[in-house]
Amino acid sequence: MKNKFILFLGLFLSASLAVMAQDNISPARKQAIDSLALEKVKDLSKYIAIIGSKETQFSEANRVMDRAEELFAPGAEMGVSSINTKEIAYYKVRRYFERLMALNYDRVNITWYDIQYISDLERQPDGRYVGVITIYQRFEGTSIETGMNYRDTTKKDITIYVEKKQTQIAGRTIEFWDVMLGDVRVTETSA
Amino acid sequence: MRLTFLIFAFFIAIISSVPGQGIGGPGTIKDDGRFAASTKQLNQFFRRFNGEESVDGNIRFYPGDSLYQNPALRKGFLSILFDNQTSSISPQLKQEFISYVLSDTYPYFLNFQREGWYAEVDTEFFFKGKREKVTLIMKIQPERLGFEWVIDQVIFPPFKNLFNKPVGESKDFLHPLSHELGFMNLRRAFQDSKLPESFTANSYKPDYLSIFLYEMKQNNLRFDTVSGVKFHFFQIGGWYFEVNQFNRPGFNTGWLISNLVRLGPGDKETILKYIYDQD
Repeated sequence: MKNKFILFLGLFLSASLAVMAQDNISPARKQAIDSLALEKVKDLSKYIAIIGSKETQFSEANRVMDRAEELFAPGAEMGVSSINTKEIAYYKVRRYFERLMALNYDRVNITWYDIQYISDLERQPDGRYVGVITIYQRFEGTSIETGMNYRDTTKKDITIYVEKKQTQIAGRTIEFWDVMLGDVRVTETSA
Repeated sequence: MRLTFLIFAFFIAIISSVPGQGIGGPGTIKDDGRFAASTKQLNQFFRRFNGEESVDGNIRFYPGDSLYQNPALRKGFLSILFDNQTSSISPQLKQEFISYVLSDTYPYFLNFQREGWYAEVDTEFFFKGKREKVTLIMKIQPERLGFEWVIDQVIFPPFKNLFNKPVGESKDFLHPLSHELGFMNLRRAFQDSKLPESFTANSYKPDYLSIFLYEMKQNNLRFDTVSGVKFHFFQIGGWYFEVNQFNRPGFNTGWLISNLVRLGPGDKETILKYIYDQD
């Protein structure tokens, strides 16, 4: 966690100093923010795969769930729908992970497509910026006893909140941009 | 038509051969081009419509970039922004729209922050314990440091028949000398009549949104879920189009134009009235 903090400080310090006074996000800064947001999404993907894996010990899965929860802004929810039911079922992030962990498959394989889409950032009334990253996940679950095989591909639209924050380094106030994940819309696709 | 097909095929070919960056590194599944081709977010619909991103969507073009709002790029994008499988938009109307949007002298663009587009959100609520469908008409508005989506109208069937103001002979009234009696006959309006709206002005229009909010505050309405979203656009002068999400196999998926209308005089108001009133 500490390493990541240093990493994103490093990412933004050079850009921050030149345009510290302004609040608009330049294309170069947007690109840096996209990279940081994508890093967080990658972390989330990694955590989801670990939590979903049957080889992960219960205590380890809980530890990873804690880490995964830290990526999200408080109160973030997962909204899940399938092809058959368009209605959205809402889960708190933790509850979603717990459901994932409790799935009754002997073998679970979660992989990701090599495609993602990052939206523009729009400013919301409180001054924070908001964007959406879209990724695609394939889930495969096998039950040895019943021989049941389940597979689906879901589109995940992940909210990102981007906020300018301040920190003190060697007596100087440095501004940097922080990224938090927010609500996630999970849609089953026909793929 | 043939040209559109060729452009479309060209785009698909380019998109299919785009190497993905992948979020998970090794072990990721290679997209066969379908997800890349899909208009994955409404944001991407805007960018493609305006020609503000690369074909694969990985590079955002900004003012000053050579391909920013490039007409050829836009032409390719516009041809794949239509639902080609279920909608009945004629190829000729589509072509006229594309030519109009790409005009050499006055090209048209969509603007996220400008008014002239609306979201129609289908939801489900429990009203006094019974599940009911509710449609919310929403729009973007500026607020303090940024923007927000707000509810502009609600369409809720149980409210529709609540205020059926009678007309003609069946409409009750307070006679024109009621004031001389100190309006003692208001009793007729408020106690004896089951249609108190009979006694309202000609200009009276029930404000369903206020009633809806009131019922919610009274705990008579409880939100359950969202069941569908679509968008209505009036930002291109003289045209209206609807954008829906298509989740199906193939390359023609995501947020696509499903309805297109060339507007004559008064048509915009008629369509808006239809959207807002759903009568």
